[in-house]
Amino acid sequence: MAERKIPEVDIIVDEKAGVIKEVGPQRKLRSKKGHERRTNGAIYTVLTVMSIVWLVPFVFLVLQSFRSYKLEKGGMVDYLLPKTFSLDNYAFLFEGSNFFHWCGRAILVGLACAAATVALVCLAGKLFDRQDRGARPARVGILGACLAAGYALLVALTAALQGFAPAERPVAVLVCLMLFLAIGAIIARVYLKQDSKLLRSIPGYVVEDRHEGAKKLAAMFAEFALLAIILQYILIPMTKSQYLLWYTNTLTIALFTAVLQTAIVLSVSYALSRLRFRGRKLIMNAVLVLGLFPGFLTMITLYFLLKQMGLTQSGAVPGLILIYCASSGMGYYISKGFFDTIPKSLDESARIDGATRFQVFMKIIMPLAKPIVIYTILMAFMAPWGDYVFASYVAFGDQQGYNVAVGLYNWVNTNDFQNYFTRFCAGGVLVALPITALFLALQKYYVEGVTGGAVKG
Amino acid sequence: MASLKLEHVKKVYDKNVVAVHDFNLEIADKEFIVFVGPSGCGKSTTLRMIAGLEDISDGTLTIGDRVVNDVEPKDRDIAMVFQNYALYPHITVYENMAFSLRLRKMDNEEVHRRVCQAAEILGITQYLARKPKNLSGGQRQRVAIGRAIVREPQVFLMDEPLSNLDAKLRNQMRAEIILLRKRIDTTFIYVTHDQTEAMTLGDRIVIMKDGYIQQVGTPQEVFETPKNLFVAGFIGSPQMNFLKAKLVRGAGDYTVELYGIRVPLSAEKCAKLAAKGVGSQDVILGVRPEHTHLAFDDADNTIEGVLRVNEMMGSELHLHVDLADGTSVILRIPTLDLTEERRAGLAYGNRLRFAFPEKVVQLFDPKSEESLLF
Repeated sequence: MAERKIPEVDIIVDEKAGVIKEVGPQRKLRSKKGHERRTNGAIYTVLTVMSIVWLVPFVFLVLQSFRSYKLEKGGMVDYLLPKTFSLDNYAFLFEGSNFFHWCGRAILVGLACAAATVALVCLAGKLFDRQDRGARPARVGILGACLAAGYALLVALTAALQGFAPAERPVAVLVCLMLFLAIGAIIARVYLKQDSKLLRSIPGYVVEDRHEGAKKLAAMFAEFALLAIILQYILIPMTKSQYLLWYTNTLTIALFTAVLQTAIVLSVSYALSRLRFRGRKLIMNAVLVLGLFPGFLTMITLYFLLKQMGLTQSGAVPGLILIYCASSGMGYYISKGFFDTIPKSLDESARIDGATRFQVFMKIIMPLAKPIVIYTILMAFMAPWGDYVFASYVAFGDQQGYNVAVGLYNWVNTNDFQNYFTRFCAGGVLVALPITALFLALQKYYVEGVTGGAVKG
Repeated sequence: MASLKLEHVKKVYDKNVVAVHDFNLEIADKEFIVFVGPSGCGKSTTLRMIAGLEDISDGTLTIGDRVVNDVEPKDRDIAMVFQNYALYPHITVYENMAFSLRLRKMDNEEVHRRVCQAAEILGITQYLARKPKNLSGGQRQRVAIGRAIVREPQVFLMDEPLSNLDAKLRNQMRAEIILLRKRIDTTFIYVTHDQTEAMTLGDRIVIMKDGYIQQVGTPQEVFETPKNLFVAGFIGSPQMNFLKAKLVRGAGDYTVELYGIRVPLSAEKCAKLAAKGVGSQDVILGVRPEHTHLAFDDADNTIEGVLRVNEMMGSELHLHVDLADGTSVILRIPTLDLTEERRAGLAYGNRLRFAFPEKVVQLFDPKSEESLLF
C-alpha cells in the first residue's frame, strides 16, 4: 500500500508543475476513480427505480382520491393524473354531517377561547409562581377573579353561538370546547419555547422540561382521544356513510391498545430486567420459543373463544383490544435490553431514598428510557391501526365492528367497485394522516429507540 | 442517629457461595466505622445488607432497637453514597437532592431550606440548576453526599465513595469527609479498600478477608497490635516485612534468632508468650519498614543484605534489600539522617546492614498465621 501511495503523491506535484513523469500509476488512479463512479451510478439508478416503484402506488392513491366523482365516476382508470380535481370523495365520507357548514364558525370561536385561556392560565401562573408567592387571601382573590373571567368567557361563547340553529347549538358548544382545549394544548406545546417565561410561569411547570417527548406524546394522544370523542358522539350519528364509524373503531382500538400494551410491555421488561425470581430464565426462553410461532395460528381458536364472550361481530372493538393486548408482554426484548443499560445503582439509590419499586419505575426508569417508551407506544399504536387479518375475522360480517382497513376493503370488494375506488383512496389518505403526524412528531425518539435498544442492549 | 448491631449475619448467594460468614459487630451511636479489605472480601455485601439492598441469609440486623432484616430499604432510615455516585441523570442537582424529601411529601419550603443548607455545606450552591452530566467527578461526589445529607438519616453508608476520583481530589475529599463528619454528627459506615482512608477516617476499623472479620479496632490498635499476618500485611504502607525466625524459650525469658542475630524479648512480651504457653518454635517475625534503621558501624545484631532498589520518595528512601536466603525486605529510611556520603553508598548491588528495636517486633505463628503477642 505504501509503495503505491508514494507515486500518487508525486503525480499531483508533477501535474502542478506541468510535467507528467510517470504514466503508469496515473492511469491506475483514473481507472480506479472511474470504477467508483460507475458503481455509484449503477447503485443510484437501482435505488431511483426502486423508489419510483415504491412510491407510484402511493402517489396514484393520493391523486385518485382527489378525482372528481361527478365528472369521472369512482372507478379504476389507467391514467395517473385526474382530469379534474375536487373534494367529492372526501365529502362522501362525511356526507350528511353538516360538518363543513359550521366547522368554520366553531373553529373561529374555539380559537378565540383558546387564546383567552392561555392568557388566563399564564396570568394565574404568574401569580401562583413558587418563587414569589403572594399572601393567601390575595391568592384566593385571584383565583376568584380567574373563575369569574372563565364564566364571562362561557357567557360570551354562548352569545357567539346564537348564530347557529337551535338544534345545532349543543353540538356546536361541544365542538367549541373540544377545539378550545385541543388548540390551547397545541399552542402551549408548539408555539412556546421550552424556556419561555410564559411557560415557566404556568404553575407546576418545571423549568427544565425533562418530559418533553412524553408531554408531546400525551398531548398527541389527548388530541386523538378528543377526535375519537368528537367522531363518536357528534359526527357519526349524522353521517350516511359508515366511514366515520370505522375510523372511530380503529382509533379506539389503537388508543386502548397503545396504552395497555405499553403498560404491559414496559412492566414486563422492567420486571425481567430488575427483579430476580425463580423461573425468570425459563419464562424468557419459553416466551422466545412461543414467539417463533406466527400469531395467526391461533386465529380460529381465538374467534371461538371471543364468540363465547360475545366479543365478535358488533363486540369486535373490545374483542380486538383484548387480542392485541393479550400476548403483548412477549415483546419485551427491546425494552428489557434498554433497561439493562440503565445502571442498577440508580434503582438502589432511589430505593434507599425512599422510593417504592413502582416509584423507581415511574420516576427514574421511565424518564431515562424515554426513547424506548415512545418506540413501544408507536409500535403498539401502529399494529392495530393497520391490521386487517384479525380485524376482518373478529368483526366477521358486521359493519358495526369494522375497522377502516376492513371497511374500505369491503367497499372495493363489492360489485360496486366501479363507484367506490376513488372513495377508497380518499379513505386511505385520511387514515394515513394521524400515523404520519405521530411519526413526524416523534421520529427523533423513534430512531433513538430503535438504535438505543439494539446497540446498547 | 442510632446504634447498629449485627449478630451472626451471613450472606449466601445461589449455588452456596458464601460471601459473608458469621459477621458480629456492634456499632455505637455516632461512631465512624470503616470496613476495609481487598476486593471480594464481603465488605460491600455487608454494607448492602445493612442498606437492605441484599437479603440477609442468616442472623439479625438491628438498627436502633428495631430488627430490620425484613424492612424495605426505604423504611430503614439510612442514606447511602455509591461508588459511581448514582445521580439521577435526567433531573437537576437540586431535584436530585430533593428527590427523597419530595417522596416523603415534605413541604416545599422545608425541602428548599434543607437542600440549600446541604449545598452550602458542600459548596455546590452555584451548581444547583445543572444536570449531573455537566459536573466534574468531585462535584458529582459532593452532590451524592448532599443527597444523603438532606435526609438527616440515622445511619450514613458510604460505599467506596472516593475510588472514582483522582489522587489529589481524593485527598481533598477525604479531608472534607472528616470535616463533614464533625458537622453532621451521626453514625457512619464507610467501605473502602484503601487502608489510608480507613486509618484516617475511622473511629474503628473492621478488617475483612474472604467474608470473615479479621480484626476490629481503632486505627492505632490495628496498626500496633495486628491480630494476624493478614492484618499486619494489609495495614501500613509499604507492607510489613516478614522474616523467618526461631523463637527460643529460655529460663523465664524468650529470644528470637534470625539471620545470625539474637533478639531478646522484653519482659512484657515474654509474659504474654508465657501466658499462652508458647515453647521454642519457628515463628514469622514482622517488622514495619519505618521501624528499621541502617547500621553503618558494623554493630552487633544487625542483618546484612544486598540493595536491589533504591526508591527516592523525597523525605525518605525506600530500600528494597535482598537477604542471604533471598527474602526481600523494604526499609524506610528518612533522608534527613543520612549524610551525602552515606547516601551515595546506597547504590544497586551494595551491601548494607540494618537493625530494628525489639519494641516494634511482631511475632506470628507460621501455621495458624495468628499473632503470638495479641
